Amino acid sequence: MKILIIIPAYNEETTIQKVIRSINLKMPEADILVVNDGSTDDTSKKASQAGAKVVDLPYNLGIGGAVQTGYIYAKENDYDIAVQVDADGQHDPSYIKDLIKPLIENSADVAVGSRYISKTDYRSSICRRMGMVFFSFLVSLLTNQKFKDTTSGFRAVNKDVINCFANNYPDDYPEVDVLVKLKKKNFRIVELPVQMLERQGGKSSITAFRSLYYMVKVSLSLIIGVLRSSEE
Amino acid sequence: MAINIYSISIAFSILFLLIVVELVRKNKLQERYSLLWIFISIVFLVLSSTSSFLDIIAKSLDIKNPPSLLFLLGLIYLIVYSLNTTVVVSKQNERIIRLTQELSLLKQKMSEKK
Repeated sequence: MKILIIIPAYNEETTIQKVIRSINLKMPEADILVVNDGSTDDTSKKASQAGAKVVDLPYNLGIGGAVQTGYIYAKENDYDIAVQVDADGQHDPSYIKDLIKPLIENSADVAVGSRYISKTDYRSSICRRMGMVFFSFLVSLLTNQKFKDTTSGFRAVNKDVINCFANNYPDDYPEVDVLVKLKKKNFRIVELPVQMLERQGGKSSITAFRSLYYMVKVSLSLIIGVLRSSEE
Repeated sequence: MAINIYSISIAFSILFLLIVVELVRKNKLQERYSLLWIFISIVFLVLSSTSSFLDIIAKSLDIKNPPSLLFLLGLIYLIVYSLNTTVVVSKQNERIIRLTQELSLLKQKMSEKK
């Protein structure tokens, strides 16, 4: 079972080494690929020093394009499972084993690490929480499956989904969109509870200023996605 | 010939057509993108040089001032063409992203072999 951990990173020099080391500790059998999305700091150097494979994108493609690069790599190198982990240290690598378990047992194609059980003092702004509730409502409505945390970027996928992502992945704000697209292609998605840590450095890509654009764009994309024929 | 909306339209259509042809000839504009421009300049040339024809169409559409029809057509054409342009841009954007990804993956593979 070949497992690839994909870490998209944009200016995460403060946290990247810590993230890589803790993944190595928890998942020594997995390969780690850092997709450096045009960082202007030392992210790339620090990641390769920590022993990860690094793909350097020549300019900032955005989260969708960066993550997809990882999936193309996984497809070309014949990985069975790919796990997406954030570079800022929010995702606790101890949960990777839980995420890939349903994939190995073949009871699901995609496992999403969901922060709906938040025993940790995971803080998020009111705006963001409202957005999360709104999207979980919209996605649940469109897919007929209850989703609690649609914006989580902590997910594991199997080979079929890797191939699907390598061919087609939304370019920005992909997390929510992808759930509906996968569900439409009849992939089985499970949501598993994980604890999210406070981000340990850097800043969120979603600023208050961009949230409105985010809401409108993702909603539109979801609704148009429903109208799209499933062959695409 | 008096200087009015018709003569200006005629002059502009001819000049525009020449510019488009020249751009294609110099390989600064691809043929496939020039077709719509050539088409619209010929339509404009025909409509503005045969004002009686324009009058007939305007009358049947209940347009009081026939040259308004020229404006309407020009406006509709511009809107359609800009939509077409953004479609082209979207496609190119998708290709550029793909190229960037493939290139970066190749570079990674090369550096691993060293």
